[in-house]
Amino acid sequence: MGRWLEANGYERGVTLGVLQVAELARAWWQDRLDPDWRPHTREENQAILERVGLVGRFWQLA
Amino acid sequence: MDERDRVRRNRIYAQLVELGRVPTIEETGVDEATLRRLEDEHALVLEPDGSAFRMLAPFSGVPTPYLVEAKGSRWHANCAWDAFGVPAALGVDGHVSATCLDCGDRLEVGVRGGEPTPANLVAHFLLPAERWWADIVFT
Repeated sequence: MGRWLEANGYERGVTLGVLQVAELARAWWQDRLDPDWRPHTREENQAILERVGLVGRFWQLA
Repeated sequence: MDERDRVRRNRIYAQLVELGRVPTIEETGVDEATLRRLEDEHALVLEPDGSAFRMLAPFSGVPTPYLVEAKGSRWHANCAWDAFGVPAALGVDGHVSATCLDCGDRLEVGVRGGEPTPANLVAHFLLPAERWWADIVFT
């Protein structure tokens, strides 16, 4: 990861294991094709992040 | 988002499933003002000139390094997170093909019941959540 960050001049963010990424994806996207989908509120999205263990300053939504 | 826009948005996503790909704007028949409102609500992302869908997240309207096979179609996703979102949204198993940004290795990941295999891979989130929508394409 360091090579890619350095090559592009990026500061390190947060690295997650693929199991957690997939868990986040299920929670975040699973309703996206529901025929009666409605937008998530910011609070709902923040709760999804928290539910999969993503807490702290980095994961605070705007 | 008002009720009419929500219904239009849901029709666009239904078309995506029916077609097995991101529709063109012409195919949706949705007017530009509505699309701009939906973009302002973060319900979709248009190309800068408004000529096409850049993102119907988690699906991408343009080719990306994240290719997902699911529900009999090959989809492009916007990032690693979205790549797993494609089978999740479709409610099916899938397969993700991607390239490691760091080492260039080809990555092949099966998704069954929402669980990825192999499980020893990682994904890097570059930006903090409060900055995701400042430039969602970069994010």
